[in-house]
Amino acid sequence: MSEYIVEMRHITKKFPGIVANDDVSISVKKGEIYALLGENGAGKSTLMSMLFGMYEPDEGEIYVRGEKVKITSPSHAAKLNIGMVHQHFKLVSNYTITENIILGQEPKKKILGFLPSVDIKNTDKKIADISKKYGLEVDPSKRIEEVNVSIQQRVEILKMLYRESEILIFDEPTAVLTPQEIEFLLKIILELRKGGKTIILITHKLEEIKLVADRCAVLCQGRLVDVLDVKETSTKKMASLMVGRDVDFKVAKSEMNMGREVLSVENLVVKNKDGFPVVNDVSFKIHEGEVFAVAGVSGNGQTELADAIAGMLRCASGKIILNQKDITSENIRNRTEEGISYIPEDRQSVGLVLDYTLSDNICLKNYYKEPFCKNNLLYKKEFKTYSDELIEKYDIRSGQGSDTNVRSMSGGNQQKAIIAREIELGSKLMIFVQPTRGLDIGAIENVHKQILRERDKGKAILLISLELDEIMNLADTIGVIFSGKILKIAPASTLTGNMVGEYMMGVKEHE
Amino acid sequence: MDTVIIDGLSFAIPLFIIAIGGIYSEKSGVINLALEGLLGVGAFTGSVAFLFFNRLGFESMPLSFLITFGFAFLGAGIFAMLHGLLCIRFKANQVISGVVINILAMALTTFLTSQINALVLGKPSNKFILNVSSKFTVPVISKIPLIGAIFTDVYVFMPIIIFISLFAWYLLYKTTFGLRLRACGDNPHAVDAAGADVGKIRFSSVVISGALAGIGGMAFAYSITASYSPSIYSGYGYLAIAALIFGNWKILPTLGACMLFGFTRSGGYKIAQLLGFSSAFSDVIMTLPYLFTLILLMFFSSNNKAPLALGEIYDKGKR
Repeated sequence: MSEYIVEMRHITKKFPGIVANDDVSISVKKGEIYALLGENGAGKSTLMSMLFGMYEPDEGEIYVRGEKVKITSPSHAAKLNIGMVHQHFKLVSNYTITENIILGQEPKKKILGFLPSVDIKNTDKKIADISKKYGLEVDPSKRIEEVNVSIQQRVEILKMLYRESEILIFDEPTAVLTPQEIEFLLKIILELRKGGKTIILITHKLEEIKLVADRCAVLCQGRLVDVLDVKETSTKKMASLMVGRDVDFKVAKSEMNMGREVLSVENLVVKNKDGFPVVNDVSFKIHEGEVFAVAGVSGNGQTELADAIAGMLRCASGKIILNQKDITSENIRNRTEEGISYIPEDRQSVGLVLDYTLSDNICLKNYYKEPFCKNNLLYKKEFKTYSDELIEKYDIRSGQGSDTNVRSMSGGNQQKAIIAREIELGSKLMIFVQPTRGLDIGAIENVHKQILRERDKGKAILLISLELDEIMNLADTIGVIFSGKILKIAPASTLTGNMVGEYMMGVKEHE
Repeated sequence: MDTVIIDGLSFAIPLFIIAIGGIYSEKSGVINLALEGLLGVGAFTGSVAFLFFNRLGFESMPLSFLITFGFAFLGAGIFAMLHGLLCIRFKANQVISGVVINILAMALTTFLTSQINALVLGKPSNKFILNVSSKFTVPVISKIPLIGAIFTDVYVFMPIIIFISLFAWYLLYKTTFGLRLRACGDNPHAVDAAGADVGKIRFSSVVISGALAGIGGMAFAYSITASYSPSIYSGYGYLAIAALIFGNWKILPTLGACMLFGFTRSGGYKIAQLLGFSSAFSDVIMTLPYLFTLILLMFFSSNNKAPLALGEIYDKGKR
């Protein structure tokens, strides 16, 4: 038997318009943590989907434990003791944790001695045992819809352990987690290796690889660039291999050139469905050429604040003044025309219509204006001309250009499309909510540069982010939000990351 | 009061088994508007079987009664395969497929009824005359005031349906098949990742759905109309869908909804009778359950939670 538990040799996989994997070969040793590093759309997930039997490779061979195999389905992969935690969890929301774990391999018992049925009670205990062994505590009788994403991820891991998988694939496991949860997950991954499991980690986050992985394969645009020993390679080197060029972690920022006031928010209150004020008495101002960043731990009202300014949530009281005009009770279109661009947090459900083409999405905010629409008729040719222009200008990559279904595009390129659309509106105020969430470093750098470019053009920018680094890098003024209230507003130059961190936890100023 | 309960139940119970059929299909993620057509096809195949038994002189055998239900079960189940094939294999829109099957069922059975009548009985008629199902009264218990009415003049098919619905409950909530079926309606990707075949599970659910609707249709033919004719298509299938929506896609609450519809209907008739309305007004009474549906829809539909993947065509590649 060879020393490798998994070998994938010369794998090629093509999709319409895209070569997802081009002659990729990797070999994974038993008991190691093997990272797959690459930008969004580099072909990492596709490669692993083939190992998990969701696609079949067009060319190439897969060997598991030294034997050549053709993996035709996830259940086949499960028989080979391969398990996978997908980026989008595959859980049944109205089922309990136990029911989700046993689905597909249900333990059986007989009711009244003859009716076969699923044995839930005894499994609850078995699952509690497994979860204790690896420190993955869950309450097996809770429903998936009642628990948060971090617990849902634990359920996905437990699913693999229940099936006694030996090769565990994690697809971007930290994308949805908070920093504390990430730390916990990485500990679990190390724990799993100690238990003799082989782990393949798909990610674009370099710090994680540095922390846990033994070896790392770098993919770039479907091709294998290099396989590195993580201990002996610098993060900088990995980053440049992954993006295919050198990357600046810090974006150069010019001096602020503050102009007149663009947005003024006065005593704004936004209530949630239960009447609880999620944004409570918030006031601030943003000027031309200023990046005003709202820092805060997730769930402290920052999303609602942005939604209220963009017009997606109603204000309970207070005023929103844009360009000296009160827009508190205007509808969304009027606000857009008055000069607001909005890059929402949830790009897939708020920012885009996923099943529309790229050109339709790019024209989503001006389709009703000339030249796109005359006498209530749409001119699709104009849509295409305009979107082709933006695709070129903003380097939006997709399989079939303007006609691509947006759903099939990578997250980074979806975000590029939104940003292109919103910048081209030419609005005075631009709201960015979590603009780099889930993006790889190449794309993050790109977004940061664009934000600063707009600022230098004299736009007022409201940036809402959970990433402290991002805020410290970009902001001119920082407002820290804590349970719906702005605790502190100060020029970024007077604050350090640690100070902002303390305010984010609700620590008041020491007088 | 007793007749209200007796008539109410004899309407509610067949409606209930049709609604369970709907639950099976919809819990697996396939919208089934075809219930209306399927119950008609079930009643048709059952009635044809009855006709042939009658010609062969077996009609008095108690077993032949069961066998006609068996034919209704099979006939509608097989016809439901069409819905399954369209929705699952050919990824057709489930609403359109359901409506098309309703129209097809109505046209096809009407045509075949007159052809068979012309061929077998020598006279073209659009109905098969059936016996009314025999009834029984449970001694002693039926003497209890009010509750006793439940055990008075019970159609023979009612305990059969109740037995089948108990089994349907067991299959849906207690077995491996049921666990996977309900998962298909919430997140088919989870079922696929767990190594089960979403297409097969959904297809069998649709077939079961049809078979159960067929039993309900046959029961209506044996009771309300005492014959098979195109008038079997008078919206009971849609009423069953309304019932399962009020029942929040759960079997027990759906039983409650069916009872409610049954009693509104029989209660309405009783009131019309007491007030001495003419038959023209009794047609208005027929609309009561539907009117009631509209009112309930206004109040309850916002609290209801349909299966998450209901109506979604399963596509492996979709993110």
